[in-house]
Amino acid sequence: MTHPLISLLYLDPSSGSVLLQLALASLLGIGVAIRIFWRKIRTVFTKSTEPVESDELDDQD
Amino acid sequence: MTRTEDQVLASSFRDPDGVLFERGGVLYRQVNHSGAAGYDLMMNSGLYQKLVKAGQLIPHQEVEIEPLDPVRVHKILQPEPVPFISYPYEWSFSQLKDAALTTLSIQKKALAAGMILKDASAYNIQFLRGKPVLIDTLSFDPYQDGQIWDGYRQFCQHFLAPLALMAHVDIRLSQLLRIHLDGIPLDLAARLLGAKSWLKPGLFVHLSLHARAQRAYQDPAKTQSQPRGSLRKEGLLGLVDDLRNTIKKLTWTPAGTEWGDYYNQTNYSSRAFDHKSQIISGWIEQINPQVVWDLGANNGAFSRLASQRGCRTLAFDIDPAAVEHNYLHVRQTKEENLLPLLQDLTNPSPAVGWANQERGSLAARGPADLLFSLALIHHLALSNNTPLERIAAWFSTLGKSLIIEFVPKSDSQVQLLLASREDIFPDFTREGFEAAFSPYWEIVETVQVAESDRILYRMTAKPA
Repeated sequence: MTHPLISLLYLDPSSGSVLLQLALASLLGIGVAIRIFWRKIRTVFTKSTEPVESDELDDQD
Repeated sequence: MTRTEDQVLASSFRDPDGVLFERGGVLYRQVNHSGAAGYDLMMNSGLYQKLVKAGQLIPHQEVEIEPLDPVRVHKILQPEPVPFISYPYEWSFSQLKDAALTTLSIQKKALAAGMILKDASAYNIQFLRGKPVLIDTLSFDPYQDGQIWDGYRQFCQHFLAPLALMAHVDIRLSQLLRIHLDGIPLDLAARLLGAKSWLKPGLFVHLSLHARAQRAYQDPAKTQSQPRGSLRKEGLLGLVDDLRNTIKKLTWTPAGTEWGDYYNQTNYSSRAFDHKSQIISGWIEQINPQVVWDLGANNGAFSRLASQRGCRTLAFDIDPAAVEHNYLHVRQTKEENLLPLLQDLTNPSPAVGWANQERGSLAARGPADLLFSLALIHHLALSNNTPLERIAAWFSTLGKSLIIEFVPKSDSQVQLLLASREDIFPDFTREGFEAAFSPYWEIVETVQVAESDRILYRMTAKPA
């Protein structure tokens, strides 16, 4: 689903920031997706008895 | 329709979702209908509890009182008050860095709970019990799949730009935040960073490229056709992580500023130091202050005489290295009563922002019950040529009691100050000092510091 790039919130993000964000996120998002994927692979092989946290990325400080 | 005694905070006007106001000396936050969805989701999703438990969000109570604006009101909140408001241009390097990392940590937790931070202003962070805390309870909006982060630009300007400049160019560039209240413009930051940003990909992307992107698209005519796009959540998380890694890599070692090594180089013998501590401790016991301001606190050695007794203590100093050392100590030992801050007493924080009212001056955030002016008077009176009477007068607007150390011309530090200039200070004597302070301060007690020419005074402010 696509979104209009105007902001509905009170802050003005500036068009340049928005476009840069989109460009960066598509690159950086690949890294994040890979990390999640590898964690899942690891739990399969180590047969860890610890529960896998569904939102692991939020528990770093 | 406001009650006549309601006072809306001068800084609370940008976000239509709510407003801060004071009534009867108590701070309240009205949540408007437009902010209801975000507020309710924050409370119901568990995000509020999670952040409060982590000490990252200011706790509040919902209260049933007459609203500020009955037409728009959804709820009224009573947040825990922050006893002393400080601003990003008063923070040391690590204070700003910790505030930045806290903001990003909160963003990640918000995204995990189906929410997103609306903005990323450094003014949404305050130091409470020694740690950075988000005070804007209405910072969260429900996250819609694919939406962008509006706060990205603001984060880069408020946090990344000043930290990068402090770390790579000059620590004093944090003062640009006093002029640029929405953070340092990215093109300015990129220009000052210059070639230094090219070797550091995080800075290159989020500052230099970002500045270029802003410049390229600032002409509204260029974006006539409404661009559409979508940002996957993983992408946004990746962006947040990248910002986090970039910030974490920024470091500053406080060597080489003037006062960094002060207590190793002063002319206090350990006996003098102990005696001074003893006198001051005794006076603190007698005065029993709630709030203490240590003016020219350096690394907080004497501030701690107050903070460790439970007094809420501010340690102000002009030297970024001293404030940094002090804050790192606070952080390491988890002190809760001491807040170190940057402050040039010859040019203290003014009132700035809209109508010069948004961010308060230093004096407006007082007065303190007790002021310390230790090893300071000669810097104000001699280095800054300030007449002693003006110092006495200004101090009397800042505090009700005063512990002040007179440093006479026989002291070696003063001789250093006067070494390369003409001595135009005939009244800088013990008698002159007492005469200048007497109109404003009653001298309660006087003690000469052992093995030193310095004299400690305990004073009480005379009624105006």
